[in-house]
Amino acid sequence: MSEAGDRLIFFWGRECPHCAKLHPIVTEVSEELAKEDGRGIEEMEVWHSEENAKLMRSYGQVLKKACGGSLGVPALYNERTKKALCGMRTTKEQILEWARE
Amino acid sequence: MKKLWRCNVCNDIHYGVKAPTVCPTCGAKMAFTLIDYPESMKVIIDDGERLDEVDKLLEVWNKFAEGKPFKVNPDEVFVRTLAKGELENQKNHGLKYCPCRITTGDRVEDLALICPCNFFIQPVYKESGECWCGLFVKRD
Repeated sequence: MSEAGDRLIFFWGRECPHCAKLHPIVTEVSEELAKEDGRGIEEMEVWHSEENAKLMRSYGQVLKKACGGSLGVPALYNERTKKALCGMRTTKEQILEWARE
Repeated sequence: MKKLWRCNVCNDIHYGVKAPTVCPTCGAKMAFTLIDYPESMKVIIDDGERLDEVDKLLEVWNKFAEGKPFKVNPDEVFVRTLAKGELENQKNHGLKYCPCRITTGDRVEDLALICPCNFFIQPVYKESGECWCGLFVKRD
């Protein structure tokens, strides 16, 4: 697992159907990345964990932009590059590119 | 700023910037007077009905979409998951927030996340024909 400030984070909601669809893709990418350099994607559920929600809100400025104006899930945030991906149309290729930057 | 208004004929309550010219309940004209929050809470009668079941939400959403350029997503499993999420959010966070959003902690800002939200203004609706969570989709 990466240190805080250097993490790749997947913010998701337990009752969000798009998150459920994206979840296996994120897991697959995370496993690939972990094999490359040991830096997988950390998963954080935000509707049932106030701590995770607070962290997500702290990246609100970047995430809101990626999510089309309001905070949304599924969302991915790269603490190193401060770049985000958001929404149901996120692809495996996009996640790999976002993670490897 | 929104205020509370009461129809002096049928006690209909309106929350808005201006009083309605015609009462939507009894049809009385120019009948609304300014009231305060405690009065409004005493005027409104809690008849015990709650929209706290998945089937009830589905009924409300279908009614909401009637005659509009959008409909409820025909994928029922998907829609039921969203309904369960909203009920969970109501239980844990007080309102039926969209389970595909997350609250900011700012009460006023978060009011925009109550489902159904004003999804017509969302870029994703304009681009894909679906609201953010996919509950409402444009009709063919």
